[in-house]
Amino acid sequence: MSKALNEKPNAEPLPAAASAGVILNGRYLPPPEDKDGMIWVRTSALIHASAEDLYNMWRDVEGAPLWQEQIERVTRTGETTSHWVMRPANDDDKDKHRDNTIEWDCEILKDEPGRRIAWKSIGGESENAGEVVFEPAPGGRGTMVTVLQEFRMGKLASAWETIVGRNPKQAVVENLRHFKALAETGEIPRTQGQPHGPRGVIAGMKKSIYGEETVTPPGLNRKAS
Amino acid sequence: MKALCWMGSSKVEVHNVSDPTILNPHDAIIKVTRTAICGSDLHLYDGFIPTMEEGDILGHEFMGIVEETGKSVPNLKRGDRVVVPFTIACGNCEFCKKKIWSACDNTNPNAHLMEAAYGYSGSGLFGYSHMMGGYAGGQAQYVRVPFANVGPLKIESDLPDEKVLFLSDIFPTGYMAAENAQIQKNDTVAVWGCGPVGQFAIASAFMLGAARVIAIDRLPERLELARSIGAITVDYSEEDVSVLTGSPFSAAAGDLRQGENGVDARNRQVKRSATSDPVGAQGRHCFDPWSLWGSVRQGSLRSRLRQGHHDEDGSDQHAQLYGAAAGAD
Repeated sequence: MSKALNEKPNAEPLPAAASAGVILNGRYLPPPEDKDGMIWVRTSALIHASAEDLYNMWRDVEGAPLWQEQIERVTRTGETTSHWVMRPANDDDKDKHRDNTIEWDCEILKDEPGRRIAWKSIGGESENAGEVVFEPAPGGRGTMVTVLQEFRMGKLASAWETIVGRNPKQAVVENLRHFKALAETGEIPRTQGQPHGPRGVIAGMKKSIYGEETVTPPGLNRKAS
Repeated sequence: MKALCWMGSSKVEVHNVSDPTILNPHDAIIKVTRTAICGSDLHLYDGFIPTMEEGDILGHEFMGIVEETGKSVPNLKRGDRVVVPFTIACGNCEFCKKKIWSACDNTNPNAHLMEAAYGYSGSGLFGYSHMMGGYAGGQAQYVRVPFANVGPLKIESDLPDEKVLFLSDIFPTGYMAAENAQIQKNDTVAVWGCGPVGQFAIASAFMLGAARVIAIDRLPERLELARSIGAITVDYSEEDVSVLTGSPFSAAAGDLRQGENGVDARNRQVKRSATSDPVGAQGRHCFDPWSLWGSVRQGSLRSRLRQGHHDEDGSDQHAQLYGAAAGAD
């Protein structure tokens, strides 16, 4: 069993026979089942950059809004703690004067430079925990980056997020995709802001399905190495 | 600017839309001087491609003059004349490093849609549905080209637009058909279908050393064009194409349209001695345009300036003794 999971406050007691860990003897195992108000997601990507550079990019928490969706601001509050401010995708402009943000504090539990970071929320409006592992890919082909994250959120709330904005599971997948694009190319591909002809009623309604409700993070000047 | 917009199945309209702007450091804005309609635009026009939405700007074969560049496009400057390949490649991912540009990991902002539909995403494409990137296309006065530091080919000769535009998609598609057919010097090559891809496959087969190319179609003007570049022609509406395979020809193959002379018929006709290599749009009403993506998933689709192909499964693959090329309309 991966030790990182036991370090997370939200981790469920795990069955002895089936480890829910990220990595066990070099094998990736499926994340735990969604139940009891917890949802889990695991995703990985092969990124052409060194594990050290990628670790540094991830560890720079204040730089997270550059590549993480909906994260408006991150402030370091200590050596291992930080304060996170998120603005949900379905936050309309007209509501900007209201305080619709979701804020929480986060603590890094395990910090192995160039190898692994594990964290959990320590109070605030979101309960989440996660782990990222950087492993050199075979043959010098960059680094395999694997992320496991969990959120305290029911299935219904999760489904609702899918409709109105971005499901948190999908957000984790997309964030790793943005991280990879930024590390490899120095930018995050985007189409928001390009011209198009008149959208009909139906096409307008489908925006969230296409991920167009969720603003693509800016991702400037962060190329690894 | 004016742009051709997809407004629904069998409905396209020119609309005034806002001009494209630089959104990322590797972007360039191109003033389009020539653009073409591709056979695969018919899939969009006919409404067979999911995730096309009202207002999407069409067009993936275009060229023009660089109008503006982002701050990380050292290879281009305002005034450069460029042809833009229809696949958008980042140049830095595992696939781009292997020159399998059309399988680029990074350029599809809507990769999750492709993953949901097909399990894996290829590169982003211009003007070809949200699922394949949702990028505005080039059948417009101006177009934004992402990763302009990787894709665009600078044209520094005085060749006219009409002679270089086809580098955007269709010429490389025909060339790749011929290349995949592993033509050896002095092979006899048959090309099923003499539409634009087929014509380029014929020309490419000669370039690759074919001694004789047999062009198969039924439309007189296409056969005439094929003859003019040196092919021997067969009108399949008058002659039985299968006579070829009984001959000593090292027969070859392309595809054309479904029906009696489509892919299945060709595969029957080619028999064991040839490489069979379909490419192109595979017929206007074919329900299997997605076979292309099968080869993306196998990593076998190599396209910088090449359209996808797919290898035949079955015995043809194991008997690549002779050359073959393919064409479609």
